[in-house]
Amino acid sequence: MTSTPTAGARPDEVRRHNRTALLRRLHVAGPTTRASLATELGLNRSTIKALVDGLAESGVVEERLPRARSGAGRPSLLVLPQAHAAVVVAVDIRVEQVAIALVGLGGEMLGRNSWNLHGRASEPDEVITHVIESTQVLAAELGVRMVGAGVSVPGVVRRSDGFVHEAPNLQWTNVPLGDRLGGALSVPIRIANDAEIAALAEHLRGAARGSLDAVYVSADVGVGGGVISDGSALRGTAGYVGELGHMVVNPRGRPCYCGSRGCWETEVGELALCRALKLPEGTPRGAVVAELRSLTTPERITAVLGDFREFLTIGLVNIVNVFGPELVVLGDLFTALPPTLISAVGAEVSRRSLVSRAVGGTRVLTSAMGSDVKLIGAAELAFEPVLDMV
Amino acid sequence: MSEPILEITGLNKSFGPVHVLHDVDFTVRAGEVTALVGDNGAGKSTLVKCVAGIHPTDSGQVSFNGRPVTINGPRDAADLGIEVVYQDLALADNLDIVQNMFLGRERGSAWMLDEASMEKAARDTLASLSVRTVKSVRTPVSSLSGGQRQTVAIAKSVLWESKVVLLDEPTAALGVAQTRQVLDLVRRLAEQGLGVVLISHNMADVFEVADRIATLYLGRMVAQVPTRDVTHGQVVELITAGRSGDLGLARPESATV
Repeated sequence: MTSTPTAGARPDEVRRHNRTALLRRLHVAGPTTRASLATELGLNRSTIKALVDGLAESGVVEERLPRARSGAGRPSLLVLPQAHAAVVVAVDIRVEQVAIALVGLGGEMLGRNSWNLHGRASEPDEVITHVIESTQVLAAELGVRMVGAGVSVPGVVRRSDGFVHEAPNLQWTNVPLGDRLGGALSVPIRIANDAEIAALAEHLRGAARGSLDAVYVSADVGVGGGVISDGSALRGTAGYVGELGHMVVNPRGRPCYCGSRGCWETEVGELALCRALKLPEGTPRGAVVAELRSLTTPERITAVLGDFREFLTIGLVNIVNVFGPELVVLGDLFTALPPTLISAVGAEVSRRSLVSRAVGGTRVLTSAMGSDVKLIGAAELAFEPVLDMV
Repeated sequence: MSEPILEITGLNKSFGPVHVLHDVDFTVRAGEVTALVGDNGAGKSTLVKCVAGIHPTDSGQVSFNGRPVTINGPRDAADLGIEVVYQDLALADNLDIVQNMFLGRERGSAWMLDEASMEKAARDTLASLSVRTVKSVRTPVSSLSGGQRQTVAIAKSVLWESKVVLLDEPTAALGVAQTRQVLDLVRRLAEQGLGVVLISHNMADVFEVADRIATLYLGRMVAQVPTRDVTHGQVVELITAGRSGDLGLARPESATV
């Protein structure tokens, strides 16, 4: 920002701002008519026309007559974002696998790839090389040029330059991921904690769309959470927040690598589920899901997941009491839990949490985005600075 | 831990005088990708066709979900929930995605097909697999790329609630980038809890997606091991020589003692 607080906004700045707002609206909510754009953005129809014409000329949007008409009069033109006008690469680094996707304007996934990490493949050098190579193959095949990159990492990341301090489950320490990936891909890059990214995805495109206060909690090998507070992501000093999995719920529980004992992660993470289901450590994700799906009777569910349910409830009650969200979205492995268990946990949270009672019952839902939530969120992170420029 | 979804023991198959499969044991677990590898002529495709009921077997037991079953034809296999995807894309070019997914099993009465419900089911299935690369479910298959066609063929097996999906070299006819997309889908299939068998010649692909590797050597199953316990080199030795260190066929000198 060059202007001082006392200076007024110049017309070209206003225009730029309106253009970005319009593009963001089209990017997040999809094709809309000119008329409804005017209503939603509170702008004059002629302003909208000028903006849309400018965008259409540079190939960022396309206008078409809507197929279904509503009401009388000349139909308003439908404005469609063009996916190829701006393409970003989204990277989701997890403990057991890495996924990448090329995502176009409007959120369409144009191409994707993923691979398992075992043994040496999870070392930073191998991951970075593989990400760069397969991104270049995909981009060449699709004939697109990337304008940005967003990366999700299961660890503590410095926001300003994407320096990974610690990703314990990956056994990474002090990896200058932002510099190395950004340099090789030669695009602006943004890197953030996976739970924060997933919360962003749910807030923009998923179950938490339209709610100003929401918490996203996911279980992978680790458990993490992202908080949307008053419409934007809650970040601690330098962006280090989201270790909800290391809140202690069972002081007499198992020791955790973080130095504490009985962390939430040790009671409701993937390993805890494997223990409850009597599966050996390191069972593939799909086998855990298959086993969870095979629990059909209420008696079996209680017998196998009784303790797990109690610890899930305790953690969620704490989270609801601290952050006071409208809803809590459960993601990743939690989505494979029996629906009856989720609703029972939701009811129990409403009963035990006084904040939940005060706001009229915090809803507990599962994510509908499946395992793609972090890819979608990473793409949105990459789009943040890009929308001003296209 | 529950039983394997599909377990084959002592399977034998001959074509005339040629004994193709010798006492083959093969296990498929729900939620895992099992790669089936072997040299040309090792019997990979024959094994898959026996499981799918296309070839009758000479001897051997098959148990599905812990129950012994007999598979006498493709219909039996389909009824159990075993679906096969071939490399030569068994789709009808002149029909769209919805029509292909429901081909031969259309919904609605004889006079009026329930297009709306079929379209919705097709869209939901693609969404459940997070397939976001296909624009419209009414696109004719002829205008899709090889990778997208293979995606439709695989999604078809999910739509019919299969328990086990056998993929016979699903990427053999595809380019590098499209191969990646199909393998990505294969893994997501397993993450939904299906048992997936992937035949492949490409070691890199196998190591990227498989949880377990089963190696056939001259019609014998020489090893079924978790991917994380073996190296590329060991698997190549198993494919070409049938043994690698302690893995694989017993050495003849130790067998005689």
